[in-house]
Amino acid sequence: MSSTRPELPREFVAGHKRRRMMDAIAELTSEQGYEATKIADIVRQAAVARKTLYDNFDGKEDLFLSAINSTMTEMRVVVEEACAHDGADPEAGIVAGLEALLDFIAAHPAAARMCMVEAISATPSSARLYDAGMREFVKLLQKRTTGNSDLPDTIEESLAGGVAWILQLQIRRGEAERAAELLPELSQFVLSPYLGVGKVVDTGRRK
Amino acid sequence: MDDDGGIERLPRGRHGLSPEFVARNQRERLIAGLIQALYEVGYQKTTVSLIGKRAAVSKSDFYRHFGSKDECFVAAYDVAVERIRGQLLAACQEAEGGEWPQRIRSALAALLELFAAEPALASIALVEGLRAGRGVYDRYQVAVESFVVLMREGAPLGPEGTPVPEATDEAVVGGIASMLGRRVLAGEAERLSELFPEILEFALAAHLGAEEARRIVSAG
Repeated sequence: MSSTRPELPREFVAGHKRRRMMDAIAELTSEQGYEATKIADIVRQAAVARKTLYDNFDGKEDLFLSAINSTMTEMRVVVEEACAHDGADPEAGIVAGLEALLDFIAAHPAAARMCMVEAISATPSSARLYDAGMREFVKLLQKRTTGNSDLPDTIEESLAGGVAWILQLQIRRGEAERAAELLPELSQFVLSPYLGVGKVVDTGRRK
Repeated sequence: MDDDGGIERLPRGRHGLSPEFVARNQRERLIAGLIQALYEVGYQKTTVSLIGKRAAVSKSDFYRHFGSKDECFVAAYDVAVERIRGQLLAACQEAEGGEWPQRIRSALAALLELFAAEPALASIALVEGLRAGRGVYDRYQVAVESFVVLMREGAPLGPEGTPVPEATDEAVVGGIASMLGRRVLAGEAERLSELFPEILEFALAAHLGAEEARRIVSAG
């Protein structure tokens, strides 16, 4: 890219290369798994020199963990922002957060698979990152639902775990791009403990 | 099990037991040994020699039964899932003829009792199995799906008077499994039974509505 746009600042190019390597490991691990993904595949896919990879990361696992971390942070930020957008209404906030999560997964299927499927079994450190990510989403949900003190303590853990499970099934079926279609049923699932009997969830713009 | 967490071995020397019996017993001990070792030190540090030690079976006998640690792991995973399935089916049978909530109550109580009594079994089923890679993850998924089928048998219509979508029960079962796994990971397996009322409420709510679920749980 520097050959076509020699005026780009060095930091921009360096950041862009880091991004390309992280995208590459997401693509490759989601296709063939972590174990089978080799450094040679990554540098070829990212179109960077082997040395560039080692200048930026300690190796394959460091790159993998950095990519997971970066995606999880991004995911959490979009969900948090969407939740906050709806202000005082906690139900609308949760639906908006779910919608943002599903849109993110649909737009980044490989990165989503890396974080939500591959991370669990690739290495002990990546499994810990997955667990930490789950904890963050549980906390996010708890923040939106405080005031329901008569509900079980474990409810947000079960709800977040249930949403993750449905998304993992969808991703493993190779249908991450259609994740947004899950919004009505997932909204119903997540909100039903808070709404009581007979209330149907309005999922807004998506029919 | 003896004091160092091993599994009772057969008497030495001439015992008149058939070779088939000895082999089957060894295999069972190796599987129990792997489950125990896994719980103590995690997958990475569970070596063939540690499994052998826990099982009181020599390394060379290990390789008579399994080609590798992974092969033993997969066999152990299947055994763990079968134990859980057996426990659930027995509890459902016990509640046979009762209403759906009664069946769910009985199955859930039995499940939590099993996990509390055997944390190592809970750990391989709910935590380690997921971490072992694609082959075992598939088994986890098959097991969860079979429990969804079990849960939907005889289930009433949802609170809106329409059938509860299968995806909802998948989320309920997957969510409970995930939550239990997080508790086991935190070293709380022995105390899982304390969570019985809240998990039951959660399991019933999708079909009965939150209020009715709460009423049934508090009625005991």
